[in-house]
Amino acid sequence: MGEDKSDVLQGTLDLMVLKTLETMGPQHGYGIARRIEQISEQALRLNQGTIYPALLRLRQRGWIRADWGTSENGRRARYYSLTKTGKAQIEKETESWERVAATMARFLTVQ
Amino acid sequence: MDEVSRLRTMFSRILALFRRRALDRDLDEELRSHLEMAAEENRKRGMSHEEARRRAMRDFGGVTQVRETVRMREGVPFVENLRRDVAYALRQMGRAPGFAAVVIITLALGIGANTTVFSIVDAVMLRPLPYAQPQRLVEAQSSGMGSFSAEDVSYPDFFDWRRQNRSFERLVSYHDASFTLTGVERAVHLNGQVVSWDLLPLLGVSPELGRGFRPEEEKRGSRVVLISHALWVSQFGSDASVVGRTIHLSGDAYTIAGVMPASFRFPVVEPKTSFWTTLAMDDDANDHHPAVGNRGMHFLNVIGRLKPGVTVARADADMKAMAAALAKQYPDSNTGHDSAEVQSELTALLGDTRMLLMVVLGAVALVLLIACGNVANLLLARAREREREMAMRSALGANRGRIVRQLLVESVTLGIAGGVAGCALAFLVTPAVLRLIGESVPRAADAGVNLPVLAFALLVSLVSGVLFGLVPAVTAAKADLLSTLKEGGRGDIGGHHRLGSLVIVGQVALGIVLTAGAGLLMTSFVKLTHKDEGFNPNQVLMFNFETPDSRYMKTRPAFYREYFERLRALPGVQSAAGSMLPPMTDNAAELSFENPEHPVPEGQQSNATVDAISPEYFHTMQIPLLMGRDFNDGDDLKSTQVMIVNQAFAEKYFHGENPLGKKLKPGAGNGTPGGPPWREIVGVVGNIRASATQREMQPMQYLPASQLALWCCMRTVMRTTVDPMSLEPQVRNLVSSMDRDIPVTDVSTMRDLMGLELAQPRFAMILLGAFAGLALVLTVVGLYGVMAYSVARRTREIGVRLALGAQRGTVLKMVLRDAAVLVGVGMAIGIAATLASASVLQSMLYGTASRNPLVLGGVCGVVAFAGLVAAYVPAMRAAGIDPMRALRAE
Repeated sequence: MGEDKSDVLQGTLDLMVLKTLETMGPQHGYGIARRIEQISEQALRLNQGTIYPALLRLRQRGWIRADWGTSENGRRARYYSLTKTGKAQIEKETESWERVAATMARFLTVQ
Repeated sequence: MDEVSRLRTMFSRILALFRRRALDRDLDEELRSHLEMAAEENRKRGMSHEEARRRAMRDFGGVTQVRETVRMREGVPFVENLRRDVAYALRQMGRAPGFAAVVIITLALGIGANTTVFSIVDAVMLRPLPYAQPQRLVEAQSSGMGSFSAEDVSYPDFFDWRRQNRSFERLVSYHDASFTLTGVERAVHLNGQVVSWDLLPLLGVSPELGRGFRPEEEKRGSRVVLISHALWVSQFGSDASVVGRTIHLSGDAYTIAGVMPASFRFPVVEPKTSFWTTLAMDDDANDHHPAVGNRGMHFLNVIGRLKPGVTVARADADMKAMAAALAKQYPDSNTGHDSAEVQSELTALLGDTRMLLMVVLGAVALVLLIACGNVANLLLARAREREREMAMRSALGANRGRIVRQLLVESVTLGIAGGVAGCALAFLVTPAVLRLIGESVPRAADAGVNLPVLAFALLVSLVSGVLFGLVPAVTAAKADLLSTLKEGGRGDIGGHHRLGSLVIVGQVALGIVLTAGAGLLMTSFVKLTHKDEGFNPNQVLMFNFETPDSRYMKTRPAFYREYFERLRALPGVQSAAGSMLPPMTDNAAELSFENPEHPVPEGQQSNATVDAISPEYFHTMQIPLLMGRDFNDGDDLKSTQVMIVNQAFAEKYFHGENPLGKKLKPGAGNGTPGGPPWREIVGVVGNIRASATQREMQPMQYLPASQLALWCCMRTVMRTTVDPMSLEPQVRNLVSSMDRDIPVTDVSTMRDLMGLELAQPRFAMILLGAFAGLALVLTVVGLYGVMAYSVARRTREIGVRLALGAQRGTVLKMVLRDAAVLVGVGMAIGIAATLASASVLQSMLYGTASRNPLVLGGVCGVVAFAGLVAAYVPAMRAAGIDPMRALRAE
């Protein structure tokens, strides 16, 4: 069962998705993509489509769930929300991300 | 990622395999709604309708890629790929239904034939014997120089083996016996086995009621039986209280010790065995030289269970040493039995049948190879048509591995479709084949399409799918992308044609081998059915009944005299006589004899087949009396003791002399004290074949039954003027009017008995003939396909030739010559292979050598003719090409 090669980037995207769902509550794929674009202020130019493999991955791990619902302008859309394990996972993922970021920061300042 | 998440992911992926359709629908809807939302927002920002949509698509990235990535990761990637390839393969099949149908039918024939044969091989050879740890069961036989009955064992030898051997946990003797059960509603004839006490512990089987035998029940005077489940049901109404009851078998009282389960069969080849009793019955107090003490009476079979860890080879060496020692110790009786042989029980059971089945299995595998050849050639031709498609896929980024995999999936899909059709075919055909085999192959009746057989069919389908798919797949992967695209797919890949030709050569060669084998079996069968038996088998009825010693010991000759008189008086009866061991009954015995003119030490005397008969036997069988006289009613115990020999006997032992009046001493007692008497030869008769498959005429000695009061019993042989079977009721009435406790059994015509003996050669011939015919048709179709394809490929070349002035006759000849080269090379290889493998069939042939030039020549003629026919149509088409059209078409 092949995983993506760039684990770091993948982890980043996963955490962004989880964080988005934590702050905004249940959200559809488009909403999540737009939110990530806005927060990263266009610094991160991702194709919106790339979040779908990430959403699938998180769903398969049982961290988020998907339910069909109706969007604000009456369109059928699939809404993702955090599960209990997902909520717990955010903390772990955040910690590990901060550890990586801190390590990187130290590396860059050591000179 | 922790373990739980990993497990959940795996679980979710496996679940996805079963929800493909719903998942696809959800994903498509989700992506569509995403794009619509994005477009709507863009429009709100003031973009035009078209612009908004375009922008949404651009921001999203590749929709198809995302969909494929998600789909692949939703499930198991390998399975998803396979699913896609199979779907594509099925679409391809749908696109060319004619092609798919031809391939599937071809494969169905090949796989169906293989599955049918395998179902029989499975039942006969592969299934273990129905006993505990059957791999440790072996058959021990005596062997040595001389007669065909050398393999049978005598009781004293058996007792010595049982005592002295170091290889067996248990060793058990058995031989068949038949009895009449009386004291029931109507007397019935039963077949049984006389065995050592520990047969059941040896086999690891217990009775369903009562108990097995005890060691002391081998002792003189003991009379106990175990009865079969079938007998228990039919004669004792499944009454559980039969255990301990006394029954009467041929006048003697036996106690029922137990009832065997319905599934119990021993010996495996005799499913109709109704009872088993101990060897105490061969220790008759009335007989002053009973079988159990007679080292010269060889009539036992011996089965043994090897001690754990002892191999068949070690047991064999052990037994050989013992037999040699016994021959030294008892030279009088054991000189001709100075060795022994141990075989696994299954091997001993199958005998020559194993070879027959292997030949049939080999033949049917060749048919499948030929079928695969045809399919490979069809795929090669089709691969050429699809070169452009492949080149396109390659250009679009599919790597070679991907293309090879796609093509293999296509061929395996075809293979499995053919396999499914083949299984259906096998299901339909197996009953007919089993009817054809009848009882000529032990255990064949148990054959059926079951799980192992289906697994075999699946395996064969997969292997053939890979086999015929690999060549086109590899060729396609090698295809030169650029030139193919440039030439618009009309470029020529020479390798294709050469491969196709190689396949045809191979098919022709295999076809020759198969057809030659079938031709030999047919020749042999014709010889078998048309040869002279030495007697006239038409209009002859045979049946059997026994006259038990308990009541007929003294009166037997008188009884038979009266019986035959009354039988001959029946309307429709031309003549009637009795014979203890008539031909075609699978019964034969040999007797050694003393010849005063050529004295040899005891134990090394000559043996010859023996029969005890009534007067008029030769007349009834229409065996010519060449010299002297027949037996008559005057030949009794008080008159001169006489015998008659056949021509082969006279030639072998009295070469050039007049045998009449010579005296011999055949080793058969007549009840008078002082051992066997000297007998005067009073007649010489023609030779007969004792079995329909006997190769040579054997020397034979005939003794008058009336001078052998101790010998029981004669079968009746009756020549009729009406349909023989129509006399059955009169015969039964006559016998029961003389003794109502004597049931008549084994009523059948001589022709039917001969048919039974020919069942195995007949079934071998028909099966191999059918396979050869199939092989021939497949080869012809294949050759036609390759030639037609070659002509189509060369349309332009031929057009140029014709435009440049070539004669149509020349073109015709050119195509025919190409075909002739293929067939010729294939034929040469086929002939060489046939000659090299000839010895395989040797044991199955009668009256023909395994290298028969006439048969081989005939087969080559047939194949050459069929090849010519197959090539003629494409050749005519080539000659008919319109040069202008051919050139314009390019």
